[in-house]
Amino acid sequence: MVFHDVLIIGGGLAGLRAAIEASKNGLNVAVISKVYPVRSHSVAAQGGINAALKSNDNWEDHAYDTVKGSDYLGDQDAIEIMCKEAPEDIRELERMGAVFSRDADGDIAQRPFGGAGFPRTCYLADRTGHGLLHLMFEQIRKYEVTVYPEWFVTDLIVEDNIARGAIALEMLTGRFHRLHAGALIMATGGYGRVFGITTNALTNTGDGMGLALRAGAPLMDMEFVQFHPTTLKRTGILITEAARGEGGYLLNSKGERFMKSYAPNAMELASRDVVSRAEQTEINEGRDINGCVYLDLRHLGREKILERLPQIRDISISFAGVDPIEEPIPIRPGMHYSMGGIMTDKDGKTPVEGLFAAGESACVSVHGANRLGGNSLLETIVFGRRAGQSVTEYCSGSKVAAFPKSALQDATRKAAMIFERDAGVKSSELLERVNSAMMECCGVFRTEEKMKEGLDRVRAVREDLPKVTLTDKGNVFNMELAGVYELEHIVDLAESILLGAIHRKESRGSHTRLEYPKRDDKDWMKHTLIYKDGPEMRIDHKDVTVTRFEPKERKY
Amino acid sequence: MEITVKVKRCNPQGNADCKPSWQSYDIKAEVGMSVLEVLLDVIAGVDPSLVCRRSCRSAICGSCAMKINGRPLLACDTQIIEEYEKAGRIELEPLDNHRVIKDLAVFQEPPWDEFDKIIPYLNEKDKDVAMTAEDEHAIDASQKCIMCGSCNSVCNALEMEKNYLGPAALAKAWRFVGDVREGKKEKRLDRLSQEHGIWDCVRCVHCTEYCPKDVAPLSAIERLRDKAMAYGIDDNHGAKHSTAMVDSIRRVGRLDEAAMTFKTLGLLRSIGMIPFGMKMEMHGKMPHPVVLPAIDGIDEVRKIMDKREEEKKKEELD
Repeated sequence: MVFHDVLIIGGGLAGLRAAIEASKNGLNVAVISKVYPVRSHSVAAQGGINAALKSNDNWEDHAYDTVKGSDYLGDQDAIEIMCKEAPEDIRELERMGAVFSRDADGDIAQRPFGGAGFPRTCYLADRTGHGLLHLMFEQIRKYEVTVYPEWFVTDLIVEDNIARGAIALEMLTGRFHRLHAGALIMATGGYGRVFGITTNALTNTGDGMGLALRAGAPLMDMEFVQFHPTTLKRTGILITEAARGEGGYLLNSKGERFMKSYAPNAMELASRDVVSRAEQTEINEGRDINGCVYLDLRHLGREKILERLPQIRDISISFAGVDPIEEPIPIRPGMHYSMGGIMTDKDGKTPVEGLFAAGESACVSVHGANRLGGNSLLETIVFGRRAGQSVTEYCSGSKVAAFPKSALQDATRKAAMIFERDAGVKSSELLERVNSAMMECCGVFRTEEKMKEGLDRVRAVREDLPKVTLTDKGNVFNMELAGVYELEHIVDLAESILLGAIHRKESRGSHTRLEYPKRDDKDWMKHTLIYKDGPEMRIDHKDVTVTRFEPKERKY
Repeated sequence: MEITVKVKRCNPQGNADCKPSWQSYDIKAEVGMSVLEVLLDVIAGVDPSLVCRRSCRSAICGSCAMKINGRPLLACDTQIIEEYEKAGRIELEPLDNHRVIKDLAVFQEPPWDEFDKIIPYLNEKDKDVAMTAEDEHAIDASQKCIMCGSCNSVCNALEMEKNYLGPAALAKAWRFVGDVREGKKEKRLDRLSQEHGIWDCVRCVHCTEYCPKDVAPLSAIERLRDKAMAYGIDDNHGAKHSTAMVDSIRRVGRLDEAAMTFKTLGLLRSIGMIPFGMKMEMHGKMPHPVVLPAIDGIDEVRKIMDKREEEKKKEELD
């Protein structure tokens, strides 16, 4: 059995950044990922990464914008850390070899983003995530981090509340392996595939959140699901916020810039929850174009579009059949990001000893009820690094716990059971049922009645999980088998999102309830925790940390 | 629209020799659907055992490169109806120059193994160097690479020589050599000039033609060659051949194959080429090895070359 001081599950930005830090500190580090690391969905982040770099900007303003964007649910101590450490992290990325677009003075260029009072989003054209993910991949080669590419983690091994390693399925051979580790870091990203239409990759099934939940760690603030204002209708493919940052307009069917009725000052650059609600209202009230509104870039001119938004132009042409130089792009709000995730402290620690988390799969929480554009890449870098640091301290201070003998056998037995079933349902049918329930019952506007219906539908799918059968009975690259494990997580996450959303009787950030249209700081200025330590999920709470910004009404 | 999609399937289950077979799926395609979307429909609804890698669906993760009607393309970035109307068929195969794992998924030794050979990270200079917009543009194309493997799959040199670094890794190499902040350019160029490096490329332009992200690997390779020679790294067949070609043009205004062979390979190895030379002669492919008159207007040719060399001197080493 192999042993690593640290086993990092997930090879996106947060996981690789943590790997670099832990490896620099002399630990024996491995990254395990169900895809080759550069395929991770960090690669698709388009717009940029926030940092107060300029002399006339400062981290306190960045922190204020973030707290306000979070609708005061973000923990301000964590937000302060993120915003204060951001500039040094950007400089460090540059030293590693990151390339950013430059301004006329030769400095790192920064563009305006939604909900931000200052243009502080650094970028590489509209493929910032691609640039940074490939950079991180370069760096893990430099630090000689072991990578297990296309290994699918099926179980976390936690006993007596201490993390001991994982069991993983090697896709190439179909073999299950034991990976003994002194500590684990979950960095598996979001769960977009819980919803039928999402900007997320096909691989974003929230495996890490599901694994951690089952291992006894709580999930926090799962009801907060970000709907991005500009996604393509049929596929949910993302059009970056930078399109509005560079000056794009949102228009309804009457050709009006409707944001003037919702956010007269910030207009198209209000925070994402505000813009998505505005669009959905326009659509619901009939001022739509086939269920969409328009994103109009034409006035930016050919040159600016080609220089600053080239990928967006390609995406629009390929996936919507529209050249934004000539025509407006039909867009609508689409599921994009999970503010919630595995509850961690500021150093990535979860309540399970030796289990850490970072990035979108974690909930620190720096995003609260709504994340600002440009803060997710930042979170992966700052808190990935911090998790790598704190895992080092953990490893030097604790003994390695033994790996239980039965774990491998349990895992192979479960797979054998799935293989042996003959009659039953295809996992794709069950997935479709969860997806449609979440689309219909847990969108931008929510009601008690619909959410309860959604919960019933999801629980019905759970009942059917033991009936899943496989068409592919082979060992080599059995993606259908991996899909069964993914589906189990999707069901758990769908249920936790719905439970949290039904429980929270107020409207805050991305969570908008028609029966409770106002934010309620008296009763709901607190985080929601979901545990699965018994047969049923249970709900608990945690206070929000307020340091310098007292809650007040949000206006954009 | 109803379309028959043919997929070349292969399920080795660990055995190296697997005979692929074609399987057809009748599908319904809507306007705007990509080849990948159709494959996902097939996998979800008809045949969950069909394997293709996929992730982002928006042409940035590099997972779903495959041969579509004979050309390497990203399945997510190819409109199925358009492609069908153009070609009259939809035939999907795994990428060439890669071993098949199962169906459309291939082993990823290239590009990853080669990627390690080019030292895939920046070696910082001793002091911080700030990048300008111009510096960024110099390497912009090569860092658009998504490592999808399309270029390697159509590379003629790689097909003949498995040890060649290949276009993907070399485009990546230029990303570092061309970076103003890189501190070990000469060492890199020295390594890249060794056997199976930059001089293995036969300049068929396939890599640049088929790259889905406009990385233009060939131009990265050409820039690496230029830089290597500018650094005086010319003790190899590739650089010698290049120099001999320039000499030949300056002298007679055309290629003097005999002289070039001699200058590239040296006396002893050139003697070994004599039978090959005679065969070429028989087919009228060989100019006279001793007497080769200059073309008319050779002075004009030399003027052009003088001008270019003057320009080149101005492009300083950094």
